[in-house]
Amino acid sequence: MNEGTSQYYFTASMDSGKTLCSLLKAIQFQETAVFCALAEGLKLTVEEGKCVQASAYVPSDNFTEYHVRDDVDVMFKISIAVLAECLNIFGSGEESSLKMYYRGEGSPLLLVLQPQSMHNVMTDCEISTQTADSVLELRDEDAAEVAKLVLKAPAFLGLLADLERSCDVIEINLSPDHPNVSIITYGMQDRSCIDMPKSSDMVQSFSCESPVTLRYQLHHIRLIMKALGISTKVVLRCSSNGLLLLQLKLEKEDQRQMFSEFYIVPLLDD
Amino acid sequence: MKCHVPGANVKVLGRTVHALARFGDELYLESLPDCILLRTLNAAESAYAMVKFNKNFFSYFNYNYYSTEDNEGLKCKISMKSALNTFKSPTHMDKQVENLEIKLDADACKLIFQLKCRHGIVKTHFVTILDCKAMQAVYTKDTVPNRITSPQRILSDALNNFQSSDDQLTLEATPLSLILRNYIDCSIDLTKIIRTQITLKPAEFDSYVIGTETIITFSLKEFRALLAFAEALNLPLQLHFETTGRPAVFIVHNGITFEAHFVLATTKPDSTSQTTATQNTSVERKKRKDTTSTQGSVKKKPHLDMDVSKCLDEDSHLFNFVEIPDENFIESNNKQNGHVSKDNKNNSKVEAMDCDNIPASPTSKTIKSVFKRCFESTFDPRSIQGVILAENSDSD
Repeated sequence: MNEGTSQYYFTASMDSGKTLCSLLKAIQFQETAVFCALAEGLKLTVEEGKCVQASAYVPSDNFTEYHVRDDVDVMFKISIAVLAECLNIFGSGEESSLKMYYRGEGSPLLLVLQPQSMHNVMTDCEISTQTADSVLELRDEDAAEVAKLVLKAPAFLGLLADLERSCDVIEINLSPDHPNVSIITYGMQDRSCIDMPKSSDMVQSFSCESPVTLRYQLHHIRLIMKALGISTKVVLRCSSNGLLLLQLKLEKEDQRQMFSEFYIVPLLDD
Repeated sequence: MKCHVPGANVKVLGRTVHALARFGDELYLESLPDCILLRTLNAAESAYAMVKFNKNFFSYFNYNYYSTEDNEGLKCKISMKSALNTFKSPTHMDKQVENLEIKLDADACKLIFQLKCRHGIVKTHFVTILDCKAMQAVYTKDTVPNRITSPQRILSDALNNFQSSDDQLTLEATPLSLILRNYIDCSIDLTKIIRTQITLKPAEFDSYVIGTETIITFSLKEFRALLAFAEALNLPLQLHFETTGRPAVFIVHNGITFEAHFVLATTKPDSTSQTTATQNTSVERKKRKDTTSTQGSVKKKPHLDMDVSKCLDEDSHLFNFVEIPDENFIESNNKQNGHVSKDNKNNSKVEAMDCDNIPASPTSKTIKSVFKRCFESTFDPRSIQGVILAENSDSD
């Protein structure tokens, strides 16, 4: 760590901000996100009405340079829309290298972007930050995992896109017996049911000991669709308390990975 | 009833449902021993569509799967929204869906669509049946004097030139040309509209028979929908029509597996011929569709006649005429407005010469008299000098 950057709470640089930008857009269903720089990598968290929590993870190996001061918590609130906009400041066709600086509590996040195709052009962005609220701790360590599913993301996106928009409730039935996965939606007057056996090509792994029925708001499930669109693989984990955790893997050309994660709270029985 | 639709045909079925959805909000399904009929009627009862899928459209077809005692066909009415939900994206359907099973039980209250998709996924839609009635319109398509068979591209290319705000189309058919123009409502300000007219020569069409010269006006929305359907399936479109006030029938079929009839009401003729037209219509209502050797007009079962006549007596307004103001009214209206009063004399002169006096869009005459002069060899200002009822208010 050299003298110049050690005064900053957090500095990072990256060759291309494009993937980061699309990852941010995938969880951009709320105005602000909690930006948290950990030693392992960057994490941005967005919450909707204490029911859905979405996070974007960028492991530190995605950055060419990555420093976080280990004696302080680097955590602040930032407008995710503005951040995504700034990363895309040269347009979507342009790859631009990115540098991020955060001096300390209360100071803005500084971005320096430099397009790869042009020399001597750079943009300096200053995004003001706010003190972070506490982030919901949805994971309950006592609740055991009752089912785990690994699916191909594009195929799963296709299924979700075909669901009727007017439905409010989605019911997911998981069972060790055929059909292993069945997704039921209740519309105004009709009922639709999608059955997917574990032998299906889109199911890469399936584990479930005993049958479970889980109900969620379809609107909440639909929030993951943007992230599914840029991901290759999705892991669904169901806890015994009904909490659904979806982990999506985004693979880049350079074999490095970025992740997004969604916690979705179940609907309670009437 | 139980039937299986192979993957490639699911796309056709999906396209059909999407085309029918542009017509009406409810879908009627009827299963007969050798075919399945899908029908719809729009809310104004001015457009009707019927698509018949023959037995060979299906890979498995069992009309009497649940072995009911009565041999009548099963009928049901479902909401068009539910049907659309089953066939969400017809363009990709053939790649995703391997097989579709449709089940209709006489006692059940659900129509079941089961799609077997790629990756071993099975999608089942339980669609609520709203009613158990059948609905059918009666129209003539085989004895009409005017028949045109058009490649699907020509008419849709022609329609691309029209404004999206145009809602009615006037078709002027003569043995030498087919003229398409947008219908202009007399209440619309002429300075704010674009008039479009396209002339197509008989050589453009696969076949062109005009027995009686006529001008018909019908709704463009449904016409666009049926053209899109013909284009999606890459099949020619047959136009069968008589005169204005009588329904125009558009047919798309591939000769083997399915046949689609789209029937659009045309606007009423001017007041003098209205009485005869009404009489004709009542005659037509009794007349059955010809049962010729073509597979398209398969013999209707006798019980249907009852249904049909009942249906027509009760609530069919399918070919009721749309009220438009008659010629004289417009004329006097125009005089009052001083709209065309300046060249009133010329106007009437043109009117006398003008054989294509369109009752449907009366105000267009003003435009025509303007355009007509452009094509005359010499412009003679005296020809438009009439009694000036209203002086120019300003020099410019």
